[in-house]
Amino acid sequence: MKRLRVLKLGWEFPPLINGGLGVACLGLAQALAKSVDLTVLVPIASPDADFENFALRGLNQLEIEEIATTEDRYRYHSFAQVRQIPIFLNPYEDGQAAAATEIPISSERVFSKTTRAQLDTFKLGELYGPDLATKVIEFSKIAAKLALSEDFDIIHAHDWMTFLAGVEVKKATGKPLVLHIHALQYDRSGADDYGWIYEIEKYGMEQADFILPVSRYTGEIIAHHYGIPTEKIRPVHNGAEPVASFATKKKFPEKLVLFLGRLTSQKGPEFFLETAARVIAAYPNVRFVVAGTGEKLRPLIESGAFRGLGSHFHFTGFLDKEKVHDLLSMTDVYCMPSVSEPFGLSALEAAQFGIPAVISKQSGVAEVLKGALLADYWDVELMAKHIHDLLTDPTLHATVAEQAKLDIAASTWDAAAAKVLAIYRELSP
Amino acid sequence: MPDVCLYFQVHQPNRLLPYDFFRIGENATHEDDTLNASILDKVAQKCYLPANALFQKLIEENRGRFRMALSISGTLIEQMQRFRPDVLDSFKSLVASGGVELLAETYYHSLAFVHSNKEFDRQVDMHLQLIEDVFSVRPRVFRNTELIYNDAIAAKAETMGFDGIVAEGVECNLSGLSPNFLYRAPETARIKTLLRNSRLSDDLSFRFSDKNWSEHPLTAEKFAQWLAESEGDVINLFMDYENIGEHQWRDTGIFDFWQAMPEAMQEAGLQWVTPSEAVDLYRASQSYSSPSLTSWADAERDLSAWMGNVMQQEAIGKIHKLEHKILAVNDPELTHTWAKMQTSDHFYWMATKGGTDGSVHRYFTPYPSPYDAYIYFMNVLADLHIRLRRALQEKGINL
Repeated sequence: MKRLRVLKLGWEFPPLINGGLGVACLGLAQALAKSVDLTVLVPIASPDADFENFALRGLNQLEIEEIATTEDRYRYHSFAQVRQIPIFLNPYEDGQAAAATEIPISSERVFSKTTRAQLDTFKLGELYGPDLATKVIEFSKIAAKLALSEDFDIIHAHDWMTFLAGVEVKKATGKPLVLHIHALQYDRSGADDYGWIYEIEKYGMEQADFILPVSRYTGEIIAHHYGIPTEKIRPVHNGAEPVASFATKKKFPEKLVLFLGRLTSQKGPEFFLETAARVIAAYPNVRFVVAGTGEKLRPLIESGAFRGLGSHFHFTGFLDKEKVHDLLSMTDVYCMPSVSEPFGLSALEAAQFGIPAVISKQSGVAEVLKGALLADYWDVELMAKHIHDLLTDPTLHATVAEQAKLDIAASTWDAAAAKVLAIYRELSP
Repeated sequence: MPDVCLYFQVHQPNRLLPYDFFRIGENATHEDDTLNASILDKVAQKCYLPANALFQKLIEENRGRFRMALSISGTLIEQMQRFRPDVLDSFKSLVASGGVELLAETYYHSLAFVHSNKEFDRQVDMHLQLIEDVFSVRPRVFRNTELIYNDAIAAKAETMGFDGIVAEGVECNLSGLSPNFLYRAPETARIKTLLRNSRLSDDLSFRFSDKNWSEHPLTAEKFAQWLAESEGDVINLFMDYENIGEHQWRDTGIFDFWQAMPEAMQEAGLQWVTPSEAVDLYRASQSYSSPSLTSWADAERDLSAWMGNVMQQEAIGKIHKLEHKILAVNDPELTHTWAKMQTSDHFYWMATKGGTDGSVHRYFTPYPSPYDAYIYFMNVLADLHIRLRRALQEKGINL
């Protein structure tokens, strides 16, 4: 069998951004590269990035001359008449909603063309600046032009920012398109949000040959909320990079229950607080720790103070990886009450530290961590009962932790890559 | 023509380290000694030393005609003993000149009165003892933290033996009366209340350096004229000492202003009195009633600067809740650590107010935000809890 050539379209990529999306893309890319020839195209690649077995290309490193030969072979129709794109998104910063993006009036022909100035926006800007919509469109145009001069068999795009690009590359080259879903607008903004991003997600999924959500949970949302035929949906669970876990003795006698993640509605930090209040009332020998930052931080601090939880409910703010590991090494119970979590890589990381988890039923990782205790995200009574049980019943604690160790052993990026490869083979035998 | 009574508050808090979660149970040092020492250095250089020198000179030159009062918190005296004995010496020398009356207050510049009668007594006694030890004087007039005052505090101060107490002249309590008289609080027999003239005091502490103020630049002559034109027995000018040179820098002309004041006062036919002299000189013929707590802080002139939001309420409530256990352990060091956390500034930095008051809060805070102030405080509190529980166990106390 001939070795497949895959063009991967990504947005975040380590070491530039270490969010969940980038980490997952890197994990999968490294595993896939063992069996396929892989080129990863991203808007901005770190100049220090040098990966052994696949090529990482950033538009920030591209010179306009490199797409000159294909410039005239490509016409971009989709957005030629668009004047304004109302999107407001910045996943890693608080509060600043970008204004609607204005696109200068131009003819279709000129719109297709990539100017030096457009290319330069990838050299200085941030990934999620106020010009995100423009970047998404420019990325798709340039990706299509680059693709015309490259040879490959499969297009594999990660999350909505790259879906337009995926569709454009497919249109320009006729190659099959696989979309990988790490998170949906549904997760970030709830079921009622039908904006531009939702439309792009839906459009991309309709044009794609296969859709690879990171869990069956997300697969169901794709089928029901986006109306995509189930035969196109193939869930592939994330893997987890093995971590050298260690245990630290706490400096205080209380047990520790950890919430780790961005403080946004999606992650359900308020439910963690509600749960904590119930546990503390019944079992005061415990500290709840919120590690992370986000728009919910201040309201959460105030709610905690209002409930008088302050000496049992702690905030660490943003922590780097080393500090996160320090914290995991002293954690007794991990709690992830996400309102909608496509996967939840951090729960796997906690499992590597032998920490039993209490997870919302609305989380993909629950499909992997079979022993984790589950509750609906809003069911704080049950969530509190689970935590209380784990804190007070050493046998249950050990059982759940043991099961997690078994589950984590099966959750490798190699396993994920094998599934993805099988899907590629269906498209390009 | 009224007399003029001048009192300056002199205080520095012990700022906490950015005490993150990982320090709980590990790091027994809570305070940022480096920061506290460097702020003391800065304020000493800009305010305490030059202002002390200036006032000592004015007292000597005017042969007793120029007089004033200071209230120096216990936390600041401790800081000076530890980091800058020379600055404390300069205060001692100023007091020894005979022209400075010292007031009594809570040792830790706390809101103890609002939370615990017993702790309040303890802190006032401690402060009286410290003032006696350091300056060999016994204050006759009481000043509660940030001029926090109500009828009950006045009655309390009377039972503690004070002859006078200072307070903010709050509009709604004055209801048309002038702050320029001494007043009697309800349910008191003897003690007299001195009310701060907020307009004239704030002219010097806030507006003096405001270039947009219609009276800017304010000269000593003009200000003395305003004082002379006022009604009443005594005008109380109460403000923070740090206004001279620190909150308002030397280049605003604030030192020149005070340098010129005694002469301008004399020209205008005005006389200086200290708080206890005012108490001896003037009758308190009318009643000033303050059923609710007032203060000199923020536009509200109430407790909202320290207890206005849920973070402040929780923090201050929780620290005072430890009193019973702390006193049961009876470890001087632990008690001192606990009491220093009662200093009002910790809660002041947690305020989330906006506007002009919000920017004043922000000017003083050592932290990036009120939320950080709260987080660090609560983490230190958690550490204190751990130490306290250990101490209770060691002593076999079961509460």
